[in-house]
Amino acid sequence: MKKIMTVCPYCGCGCGLYLHVENGRITGTSPSRAHPVNRGSLCVKGWNAHEFATHPDRLKYPLIRKGKSLKRATWDEALNLVAARLGEIRTKHGPDSIGILSSAKCTNEENYLMMKFARAVLGTNNIDHCARLCHSSTVGGLAAAFGSGAMTNSISEITDASLLFVIGSNTTEQHPMIGMHMLEAVDRGATLIVADPRRTQIAEFAHIHLRHRSGTDVALLMGIMNVIVSEGLVDADFVRRRTENFDPFEEELKRYSPATVEGITGVKANDIRRVARIYAMEKRSMLFYAMGITQHITGVDNVRACANLVMLSGHIGLPMSGINPLRGQNNVQGACDMGALPNVYSGYQKVTDARARRKFERAWRKKLPVNPGLTIMEMMDAARVGSLKAMYIMGENPLMSDPDLHHVRESVERLEFLVVQDIFPNETSGLADVILPAASFAEKEGTFTNTERRVQLLGRAVGAVGESMPDDGIICALAEKMGYSMSYRGPYEVMEEIALLTPSYGGILHHRLSDGFGLQWPCPDSSHPGTPYLHRKKFAKGLGTFITVEFQPPDEPPDEAYPFLLTTGRLSFHYHTGTMCRRTAVLEREEPECLVEINPADAERLGIRKRTRVRVSSRRGSIEPRALVTGRTPEGTVFIPFHFMEAAANILTNPATDPGAKIPEYKVCAVKIEKIGT
Amino acid sequence: MKNEWILEKNHLSYWLRQLRKERDLIGPLRDEGKDIVFRSVEQIHEVILDSPASLPSPKEFLIPQYDPMLRLKVAGHELAFPSRPQPVSPDVHMKESFGKKRVLDLMDKKKRVIFGVRSCDISAIRLLDRFYLKGYRDPYYEQRRKNTLFISVVCNNPDPTCFCIGLGTGPYLEEGFDIQLTDLGNRYFVQAASAEGIKTVRGMSFLFSRPRKTDLDDQYEVFLSAKARFHKRISLESPRRMILAGRLKDDFWQKVAARCFECGGCVYDCPLCTCFTVTDRRYPDGVERIRLWDTCLFKGFTRMAGGILPNEKRVLRTMRWYYHKLIHYPETLNKFGCVGCGRCAITCPGKIDMATIATEIKGLALNGEEE
Ligand code: SF4
Ligand code: SF4
Repeated sequence: MKKIMTVCPYCGCGCGLYLHVENGRITGTSPSRAHPVNRGSLCVKGWNAHEFATHPDRLKYPLIRKGKSLKRATWDEALNLVAARLGEIRTKHGPDSIGILSSAKCTNEENYLMMKFARAVLGTNNIDHCARLCHSSTVGGLAAAFGSGAMTNSISEITDASLLFVIGSNTTEQHPMIGMHMLEAVDRGATLIVADPRRTQIAEFAHIHLRHRSGTDVALLMGIMNVIVSEGLVDADFVRRRTENFDPFEEELKRYSPATVEGITGVKANDIRRVARIYAMEKRSMLFYAMGITQHITGVDNVRACANLVMLSGHIGLPMSGINPLRGQNNVQGACDMGALPNVYSGYQKVTDARARRKFERAWRKKLPVNPGLTIMEMMDAARVGSLKAMYIMGENPLMSDPDLHHVRESVERLEFLVVQDIFPNETSGLADVILPAASFAEKEGTFTNTERRVQLLGRAVGAVGESMPDDGIICALAEKMGYSMSYRGPYEVMEEIALLTPSYGGILHHRLSDGFGLQWPCPDSSHPGTPYLHRKKFAKGLGTFITVEFQPPDEPPDEAYPFLLTTGRLSFHYHTGTMCRRTAVLEREEPECLVEINPADAERLGIRKRTRVRVSSRRGSIEPRALVTGRTPEGTVFIPFHFMEAAANILTNPATDPGAKIPEYKVCAVKIEKIGT
Repeated sequence: MKNEWILEKNHLSYWLRQLRKERDLIGPLRDEGKDIVFRSVEQIHEVILDSPASLPSPKEFLIPQYDPMLRLKVAGHELAFPSRPQPVSPDVHMKESFGKKRVLDLMDKKKRVIFGVRSCDISAIRLLDRFYLKGYRDPYYEQRRKNTLFISVVCNNPDPTCFCIGLGTGPYLEEGFDIQLTDLGNRYFVQAASAEGIKTVRGMSFLFSRPRKTDLDDQYEVFLSAKARFHKRISLESPRRMILAGRLKDDFWQKVAARCFECGGCVYDCPLCTCFTVTDRRYPDGVERIRLWDTCLFKGFTRMAGGILPNEKRVLRTMRWYYHKLIHYPETLNKFGCVGCGRCAITCPGKIDMATIATEIKGLALNGEEE
């Protein structure tokens, strides 16, 4: 029996685990004891990560559409077809008629190659990935405030913090190993403040739990800051020496007295004062947030408000002091770092910056497009009006994950040509013209970057299933067919190129990652030990900027016709659109169907009992899940996980987006509930 | 004559190399990631002789996480299962024909020797034997058990989490092992107890010599020093009494359950937890039935028809884990369902492992709080 050290393919914690291999077959998983994130533990998904990779549903050979059905093809046939069709469409309609979705499930090297493919081979900046849907507000919001949009601290620092302020993160269920560190900090005497409309598991350990109304985060945070300023708790020295633009911001704050904020958020003015005092006065304060902050039409403002709060109290730039966006996917941090985004190259170098562009043009020996490309949501709109003709989607399932699915399906159906590259058939691949089978995490080499910026090496446990190939191999082969040479001996050579072109990854090379547990960027050169916490002594961009924000209500608040507020999210046993976890026996057995969480008071009013079937409708469609009656969800609100294609929550969600980050408002839309069963 | 010998340390590699000729040699090795894990040994000199507790426990070699039980290959499309697996033939080949359907038997026939196992794990395996081999004999377990030889080592370096000492399951054993080694510095004191163990040593008797009186004294000294090294002394008897006397309030278990992450780690890692699930995988040409590790800590483990979940409340499931180990095991097997290996303390993200909870209950008893 062999045991191969690798990284968990599920969430952004990036736990170290072993894959067990017996007779060339993956037979199990176990945790690494020495790993700084998981220290001998795993969550249930990690423990079962061995199972989906060997599932018989895996795509094993390329498929090409012939009329209504998909037929087996050779790699040559499939790639020739893709190359020819993309080439044709590019010639006829221009490179910007093609859109690419890269993948936060794939490695850094693969994401880098995909963005190189988009820019150098196709000649378009139309490349995006699911970070758009989870943390694009962070990438934009924190970059503007500090110059870098990533978690500022390390996971292992959490246990030594004395205050944890968790807003909009169901940490124990969605980032279980970070939740573990939080619980330990609380055991050691840290104060825990949780702000979340739902009573999550972590909220049960909170010393103060603020249950504000969904979508009122800006008001809540402004109220807290109002108190910090009016009670003289500002770290004036920090504000003076390290930040700019404080005055206009202070002016704006005056409008958010605790009493006003109580009216907007439903949180008692006194609680706001308490939290403000504790947060400002405690040292070693860490702020954490996740989708509860980012997935709103005010996502960027929410993030900015968080950034303002940490600067106001000087809680940044030290160990155990900072602002920590918890990234969802195993490699969503890396996919962003690699520039699988429409406006930046790797390391967030702007495509509009002529110097950066020249650098990439010289390295890639190709003229590169100047204007930023389309985001996911914009691609869908462009497809709908016919200006986007083709899409190449790697490791994503927009037909389950994007808001307002009916609309997304219509858009994708209008494409002239769709290529899907994945490990399993999914909702999106059902519409594909060509399906390219990819290798899973267990079958390839490369690196993932976890939420604390730790770049870690994968271990290849077994060979690729059937004729499937690692994504990087497919991209390179396709580039060759399109007349651009991409030849690398392996992912380590790709990483060398990344290091050359990306300052923050300058010292990240595969051979350095194998001793220990990877390196945390920024790591500018090959002798640099990596950076456990950011913004020491000065911010990445020099001075931190206070950006004035203003409270704005959600796009679609409940009203008479649709009286409930729907908020969406995940369950601890499942992951996103379910392609992997729903093929894992124990995970699927635990949560086999979609349940809508409804408060007992609302349920009673509507005559709904446990497991009653209900119809949940929004202005965009309806689904029919069963009910789960629980006080976890507040009155007037319902919660639906988005994993289940039988009752896809995203049929209901509102595609309204944040004007800057273009992130959709998954966390708030209006629905009505009807009882249809008994 | 007693089955006791002396093995010079510099003969160990040779001995293991000989054993490896007939079996897959598995032992604790240090990995690049600085973990010590049990896996197939390529370089014998790399075997760690005093390894800390391994994750998961050696039960993985008897009841693997992922265990194919049988596969049906079907000519047409009609599928049928035999009522019971027919485990006989080696590896994967055809066993029997049912009309057009061929039944494949996936019995694991590999011979293994697991080197460097700890005493507590051997004690756990003896309990697994009673679970899997008394009454209904589980053919998959039986097959692997028969083919696996365990060489255990007397622990002289318990982890801070270990507490076998209070349970009589370690750090050394008087009986029930295959082969037990005690490190005497430049040599090992070798004891064999099972027939297979004795046969294995005798088969290479030229490597072993008879122990002298001084060797016995030295071994005794190691036993004493091993016992002195434990950080924890935990009795499971007092928690058992507290529970039986109904002196733990619901509130206590509520607090424990609130910390459960439902990761399943305590069950997966425990050397004597046996929960499993069975699932069928469909292939284009048939079906494979597999057995996978599962845990009673999940609500779906006891789901009934109509979606009813008798143990929907997490507290019921958390309590059940302790009740099974502290009450039901002693009732049925006259032993605690815990050998004090300390793995749940390493793996539990919520820190509600056996040692912690037993200590807490004992604290309550001492304070007379629940009297
Ligand atoms: S916490 Fe995240 S990375 Fe760790 S095992 Fe669970 S899903 Fe995997
Ligand atoms: S209950 Fe915990 S300490 Fe006891 S045998 Fe199981 S894993 Fe080891």
